[in-house]
Amino acid sequence: MPDENANDEMDELIRRRTQMEMPVEVEERLRGRLMEFRTKVEQRRPGRLRTLAYSLIHLPPARVMAIAAAFVAMVAVGLVLIPWESRASRVFAAAAAQLRSSQSLEYTIVLNAEPYVAIDFSYLAPGYGRFSCSWGIEARADTNAGKQLILMHATRQYLIEGRKQAESLVNTEDIAEQLRSLPPLADEVLGEQWAGGKKLIGYRLSKAPPNGGIAGLKSLDIWVDAGTREANHVDITVQEGDQPVHQMHIQNIRVNSPIDRSLFDLTPPAGYTAIAKSGPDSQAQTDTGALPVKIGHADALVAVVVPMKGSYQQTSAALQSVEGYLKTLGITPAGAPFGRYWSEQHWEAGYPVAAGIQVKAPYQLISLPAGLAASAVVKGPWGKDSDAHWGAFVKSVIEQGYLPTGPAMEIWSGGDAKQGTPSTEMRMPVAKAN
Amino acid sequence: MNEQQRDYERLIAPIEDRMMRAVWRICGNPADTEDAFQEALLTVWKRWDRIRVHPNPHALVLHMCVNAAHDALRRKARQGKLIDESAIPEDIPDLSPSALGDISAAEQDAQVLRAIGLLPKNQARAILMHALEEMPYREIAAAMECREVTVRKHVARARTKLRKLLSHLIPEIRKEEGSHA
Repeated sequence: MPDENANDEMDELIRRRTQMEMPVEVEERLRGRLMEFRTKVEQRRPGRLRTLAYSLIHLPPARVMAIAAAFVAMVAVGLVLIPWESRASRVFAAAAAQLRSSQSLEYTIVLNAEPYVAIDFSYLAPGYGRFSCSWGIEARADTNAGKQLILMHATRQYLIEGRKQAESLVNTEDIAEQLRSLPPLADEVLGEQWAGGKKLIGYRLSKAPPNGGIAGLKSLDIWVDAGTREANHVDITVQEGDQPVHQMHIQNIRVNSPIDRSLFDLTPPAGYTAIAKSGPDSQAQTDTGALPVKIGHADALVAVVVPMKGSYQQTSAALQSVEGYLKTLGITPAGAPFGRYWSEQHWEAGYPVAAGIQVKAPYQLISLPAGLAASAVVKGPWGKDSDAHWGAFVKSVIEQGYLPTGPAMEIWSGGDAKQGTPSTEMRMPVAKAN
Repeated sequence: MNEQQRDYERLIAPIEDRMMRAVWRICGNPADTEDAFQEALLTVWKRWDRIRVHPNPHALVLHMCVNAAHDALRRKARQGKLIDESAIPEDIPDLSPSALGDISAAEQDAQVLRAIGLLPKNQARAILMHALEEMPYREIAAAMECREVTVRKHVARARTKLRKLLSHLIPEIRKEEGSHA
């Protein structure tokens, strides 16, 4: 066994043989690295979870043992006395009870993520309802008064309906009724997932709740925040007959949050004009004539458009711009020019084209999917009566039990010597109102 | 001063010089030192949350520096490049005793580093922290996350192996000590 002196000699040898003076330039470079590292550390987001984990690792052994024992005991108690399913059921029951007794309810139904198509719903007891579509239509209803107000922001028009006509809108509040009449037990527990830092537990309802019905409902999956026991989001799967499966996502659910009652005001806002009414009490300002609105299948459409905002009187200039651009590309339009309108701050005009071309900004290549659409054709010049035509069109769509699900579209044909009388097709994607 | 700035002041600022010196002394040349130092800082960054709550964070950070430097040393030892030519004077006009002494010193430094590079990792790191950084066994054990007795064993085994590998240099040390006295 070497003695202490021998050990010291060896240590001393290592020290001496590694005792080189560090050159100044090397030290400067290392200090530079340290400066960079310091900046990085100072911008670092603290990892609370990892820090907690490591602090647990570095606890004194006695405390580690105590914590581990306590943890095992808690798990054992949890496993024996409180089965997970049972706890999950209680979470669902709490969320359903809160929805059932809600005095106010707000949520957003997302019909399409890209482009974003969504409807914001609000409900306020007793009987106030409102929805606002991302494509510029807003409806407010007071079922006690039996009245509803429909606002078309794109054309700055409004329509006030009485009790009978209001039923179509009230029906659209069915999903709110579904949420407000959830049974205390779900058909199936789907498990857990983490979203936005929250632990969510999923539940499936395979049949519609008793109070109201969603036609073709296949499943209603409701995800509840395990911490607050409040509904977080809902995924609804619908399939009617041979139709393709359709999914709706309900998000931003807020229960019993304060809602401004003026949102349900049935007084038309300033700057809006009334839509011509039909029937015996008609006070039509414009003779729109009988407007046959057809609901049917619309083909998919690929088009080159230019995004616009501001006055719609820029439409001709926008179309000329797109036409000129297509000429420079040597492309012939595949159909009649059209405009699509969300609001005066967001609209576009362009021409259908064959798929597979590439365009540069500000022009955009858009692709509209095939689907159910309402359409009506107005013969003759399109101009001063267009707002009245649109009012009659939307009214007819709602009366037929459908709701618009996308922006309004105008397709212009004719108007020159070759094509004869001009005509305008009004078109809107729609879905059956539940 | 935010939380991160306070952490840096507490964990790194007091040992900046020791970190640089430890890497330099083990690597012994500018290029390897810079690379190893960067490696060490990367490890510190990755384990920052662990360092923040470690009972002896300074020992742990120095351990990371020693590890990075020792890795560089091992790589070099494997490649057989341990004599740093830049440390040997290029121009030796008359083979005078002082010039030969410089060569001898550089060679001896290289031999010591090569021998440490040949040691198993834990033994090398333990002896480097003990001999070079003069850290007590208790702190080395905290940094290496093992028992103190294990560190002692690593150091003892490292010394035994180094004694065999470097026995010819021990008299040199004695001689130098005598001349300094």
